[in-house]
Amino acid sequence: MDLDLERIRHVATLAELSLTEEEERRLAGEIGRIVAYVAELEAIDTTDVPPTAHVAGIEPTRSEDGWREDVIKPGLSHEDALAAAPQVEHGGFAVPGFVE
Amino acid sequence: MTRSASPDHVIAVAERVQRGETTAVGVAEAALARIDGSDKELNAFLTVAREEVLEQARAIDAKRARGEALGPLAGVPIALKDALCTRGVRTTCGSKMLEGWVPPYDATVVAKLRAADALLPGKTNMDEFAMGSSNESSAYGPVKNPRDLARAPGGSSGGSAVAVASGMTPAALGSDTGGSIRQPASFTGTVGVKPTYGRVSRFGLVAFASSLDQIGPFASDVRGAARVLSVIAGPDDRDMTCLGAAARGPEGDRFEEACGKSIKGLRLGVPEEYFAKGLDPEVEASVRAAIARLEADGCTVKKVQLAHTRHAVATYYVLATAEASSNLARFDGVRYGLRVEPAHVKSAEKGPTKSALRTMYGATRDAGFGAEVKRRILLGTFVLSAGYYDAYYLKAQKVRTLIRRDFDAAFGEVDAIVCPTAPTPAFLLGEKTSDPLSMYLSDVYTLPASLAGLPAISVPCAPTRAGLPVGLQIITRALEETTMFALASAWESASAS
Repeated sequence: MDLDLERIRHVATLAELSLTEEEERRLAGEIGRIVAYVAELEAIDTTDVPPTAHVAGIEPTRSEDGWREDVIKPGLSHEDALAAAPQVEHGGFAVPGFVE
Repeated sequence: MTRSASPDHVIAVAERVQRGETTAVGVAEAALARIDGSDKELNAFLTVAREEVLEQARAIDAKRARGEALGPLAGVPIALKDALCTRGVRTTCGSKMLEGWVPPYDATVVAKLRAADALLPGKTNMDEFAMGSSNESSAYGPVKNPRDLARAPGGSSGGSAVAVASGMTPAALGSDTGGSIRQPASFTGTVGVKPTYGRVSRFGLVAFASSLDQIGPFASDVRGAARVLSVIAGPDDRDMTCLGAAARGPEGDRFEEACGKSIKGLRLGVPEEYFAKGLDPEVEASVRAAIARLEADGCTVKKVQLAHTRHAVATYYVLATAEASSNLARFDGVRYGLRVEPAHVKSAEKGPTKSALRTMYGATRDAGFGAEVKRRILLGTFVLSAGYYDAYYLKAQKVRTLIRRDFDAAFGEVDAIVCPTAPTPAFLLGEKTSDPLSMYLSDVYTLPASLAGLPAISVPCAPTRAGLPVGLQIITRALEETTMFALASAWESASAS
């Protein structure tokens, strides 16, 4: 079962992917088949079953001794943070215009 | 088998360097020579950090010359999956998106290896963003399996598995989201460990699916894997999912001491669902023979049921792609990595004109991501989108609970679950690339332990008649890696005798 092209285009827009028409057609077929496969989950009885978000149910590091102290520690320097940016202007990340 | 096993195991190398019987520089040069000799053919390394590893080696030798004690991995070459950030050394994650990216910091596990005096000779090839089971989705070409060059090494940590299997390094780090350490370990005849979720900090691991990702070691022997895990495990303020010191389990992180411990009286569970249709008969025979040997050596064996196993693939591919679609939103051409700015707005014909910014996002992500990554981002976005969230994502989270309950019930009766790591030996390169679903189904035996957050190891058992490696998988309760190591080490000794 193919996903319809409109749906693929909508999802691609949400995911900020520019697909070619060839990609749209191919992915509609591939994702349609995967979605048809995962639809097997529908038939499983999950009445009163809570969802799992974190497997262990164990408190993470910070809760162990309550809140940790809010101590300033060294982080990335300004230079390091910008070092790999494709475009830098005025000490910040530069992006193409998004307001007319 | 086209290549000999590792010339040396982790602990033997560390002891020789600690005692001064060999220099770290000598070990580093030998590792680089092995990489130079083998890797043109195997393609396991994306970056060889030649100068850096020699500098590390000189520092270790100088430390010893000053009379200082050396760390537990003194002079041991450890290859790093290219999903782990290394300060000053290119980190691509197998993608064009990060082709020239040099991280400004080390992953916590990398910092811990450095502090233990390990040598870090390079970064290994992998499926793009760890999405794949054969290493064929790498933007830099597939890794070859040293046991048969026509076959896949498994994935996604295929390069790390092959670095160890071919003897280039005695150990490596990989990451395992749904089997990405254990399946390549099985395909290449190496030891591969996925620790309990939360055992090892993921700070500095390029994120794929955060409720599943876990870093772990490959090694040429069980004890070596145990030592590497004991170095990288432990709490980290910079990863809030990393378990605190109080949650280290009954025997803490004394993994190496567990190797060689008696296994008499341990109760092993054999899940029928892991010996079902689709299991290669030679793999089944090899795994059953290993289980029979463990029984002969004093374990008790009983059948257990993990009834929801057959839904693990569907559950995993909903949850992992949903998390990936969110995690990979960060690759937007702004802060690091690729940026593509097309001169013309090609989508103008299809609808309202996009801003130059959104056009840049779309063009960057279209050029930077490969086919498998796009497929998973779109699937993940779909299952999270309005109108589908409850039917797919929330439903899969509930089935995940049922899969966990299966394990909880089984571990009420047994101490470990023993089963195959993968349903087949290494498949041929190209065999599954045209059918994504058949590739996903090759993870069927590794996904359940990932979904339940449990520790699991793949340890080699008898190869097939054609000489292809087979992996025995041992799964234990959360934080009971010690039981897993005791069993794996007992099997390793038994199979060597």
